[in-house]
Amino acid sequence: MTSNLPGFLFVIPFFAAIIIPVVGFTNQKLCRPIALGALVFLSIVSVISLSEAVLHGPLSHEFGGWAPPIGIVWVIDGLNGLLMVAISVVSLIALVHAGPLVEKELSDRVIPFYSLSLLLIAALGGMVLTGDLFNLFVFLEIGSLASYVLVGVAGGRSLLSAFRYLILGTIGASLYLLGVGYLYAETGTLNMADLAQRLPEVIDSRAVLTGLLFIALGLAVKMGLFPLHGWLPDAYTYAPNSCTPLLTSVVTKVPLYAFVRIAFWVFGMEALNTQIPILVVLGWIGAVAAIVGAYLAIWQENFKRMLAYSSVSSMGLFMLGFSLGTETGFAGGLFYVLADTLMKAALFGVAGAAFYQCGALTVTDLARLRRNMPWVLVALLISALSMVGIPPTAGFFGKWHLVVGALEAEKYFAVVAILVSSMLTALYFFRMFQRVWAKPLLPVEPNFLETPFPIKLSLGVLTFGIIALGLGSDLVMGLIFESVIPKGF
Amino acid sequence: MADIFLYRPHFVAFIILFLLGMYIMVVNPNLVKKLIGMYLMQTSIILFFIILAVKKDSTIPIILNSVTALPPEAYANPLPHVLMLTAIVVGVSTLGVSLAMVIALYRQYKTLEEDQILGKMK
Amino acid sequence: MIQPHDSVIVHTLARVFTPIIQLFALYVLIHGHDSPGGGFQAGTLFAASIILPILAFGIQNSQVVLERQAIILGGIGILLYAGIGLLPLILGGEFLNYGELPIPGMEASARRHWGILGIEIGVTIAVAATAVSIFYSLSQRGKGEEN
Repeated sequence: MTSNLPGFLFVIPFFAAIIIPVVGFTNQKLCRPIALGALVFLSIVSVISLSEAVLHGPLSHEFGGWAPPIGIVWVIDGLNGLLMVAISVVSLIALVHAGPLVEKELSDRVIPFYSLSLLLIAALGGMVLTGDLFNLFVFLEIGSLASYVLVGVAGGRSLLSAFRYLILGTIGASLYLLGVGYLYAETGTLNMADLAQRLPEVIDSRAVLTGLLFIALGLAVKMGLFPLHGWLPDAYTYAPNSCTPLLTSVVTKVPLYAFVRIAFWVFGMEALNTQIPILVVLGWIGAVAAIVGAYLAIWQENFKRMLAYSSVSSMGLFMLGFSLGTETGFAGGLFYVLADTLMKAALFGVAGAAFYQCGALTVTDLARLRRNMPWVLVALLISALSMVGIPPTAGFFGKWHLVVGALEAEKYFAVVAILVSSMLTALYFFRMFQRVWAKPLLPVEPNFLETPFPIKLSLGVLTFGIIALGLGSDLVMGLIFESVIPKGF
Repeated sequence: MADIFLYRPHFVAFIILFLLGMYIMVVNPNLVKKLIGMYLMQTSIILFFIILAVKKDSTIPIILNSVTALPPEAYANPLPHVLMLTAIVVGVSTLGVSLAMVIALYRQYKTLEEDQILGKMK
Repeated sequence: MIQPHDSVIVHTLARVFTPIIQLFALYVLIHGHDSPGGGFQAGTLFAASIILPILAFGIQNSQVVLERQAIILGGIGILLYAGIGLLPLILGGEFLNYGELPIPGMEASARRHWGILGIEIGVTIAVAATAVSIFYSLSQRGKGEEN
């Protein structure tokens, strides 16, 4: 049914992103309330749209009043709505967390930080909600430009990482555009629903196969799927700590969603099972990514770099889950994506808090937090246990459903990959636990700042969310099974 | 296979430009030359879309003074042109952001070669 | 700091061409309905007409728009575009559906005509201001920030 809610989901962060520079030039202190207020409003509206979409069927919004397939249409269904809720809530928490960090490290760039973060959130929302392939490219590029600048805002080492991220990200977006061009050449339409209707006649042509391959390649560069993850470790490590919780938790998951939408809704399961066996290839790539990412994380001394390789490993697990071809695997992958946004935001939040307090950069440095910041270390403990997959945290239930889905599909290499990557993850996280807790207490540091309230609040909410998502996992899985699974399984 | 050079030379031009742009971007250590390669690659994709819009013996898709409607076969497909306007804008903004980054890097490290910047960072 | 150019030819031609470029930019903007043109192209031409005197006469003599003004003008341009798009959304239609703009005395097709012209003007202002601010940030010395 037509509704105005998708339009508002775009307009709220976009207007906030435009108003912040205009207002902020007069009074810089107004930036943060405007940004946080807009995100609270966005979270409320996204929860309302999710409930509307689940109860009454998909909501659609035709921009400019032009009907599809000529006009651009935005559709909210179960998958969109869930991801939009996750994006808005986690970005709200990440911006709350960033408050003290921005005042400390980016004190003369407060206006660009808030404006670009809101523009990034608006672009991510646009990518998630749109039903048109070229519109997805436009929002992909807007979000990517905002994130390139956010990575490089601190100057120095982060600038070179941002430059490399820019070059590789532009290659990815150009490959995606090329793939869309091939699909347009073969079918004549860009609207996803219309394309899904026109594809079965032309699915045997080489142009369609090339189109899907280029789209997969381009989105794989953007999401950081091994072996196209080259920009990810440097960008995550050297980006300023105010930006990393936002950048690492949601930005790579939206290209993954875009690929899932194009593969399962536009192409459909019959085509993917019979004519274009791309899911098999992606399953193997995901398995290798999960193991290699976890293995490379073991050798890292820098805490954020270790978490970056852990993100590479998680992306491999997501791709593995979606490519299994069973309902449980798909649902498990989606649940693990939602859990991972909370986990990554919490882990990078702890890294930011540690750097803010005492300049801690390496894993061994985290032990210095034990005397003065015990509650931050609780957040670290819970999110690390969730990454490894220990009940009752959300990560355990995600991996459990992934393993069950893999056993249902009888793809034993996937089971082996999930278990091996979990063991390797346990290796580096337990080594971190040993370095933080199993050593004697370090002497008191004289110039330790008190942990600011926003950091405590955000880390507390994220920790609570990880455990709550784990305990309430059958509710969420029930919602996913009921309204998210595409046809054809 | 070789008839692609005879009957479809424009696609061959697109492939050559795309690969050339990517080669420049990957191999050259100078940052500004990498940007030139990136923009060349984006321009080649714009060329690809415009190739898709061409029809035989067709005129420009603009309503002229007369009110009589032309059949769709008589004018070139305007949709890829419009899409590529947006893609050009996206390319220009990416180029603007990347040039700002290159200038900030130059001000900090006084060099534009990537290997020298990496050496100065250690 | 951009110094004035030495050559008399450059000075004369810059003086002659700047109003011609601005007139052509206005022409491109208004004829975007019926021929190639529109907001982005006109904005770039406006920016060129602002940058050309700076390159010819030096930044001290011909800085028409300061950096802060450029960024605020860019924001106003985008607000004009997004505001015209937002108004139909609030009044019950869709985003950018100009047929629902609350202008009395016009039918839907005329409202769409003027709506498109309105957003193109907003886009022109925004693009011109952005291009000029990019030029300033690329040419100034010592202010090495990202935006």
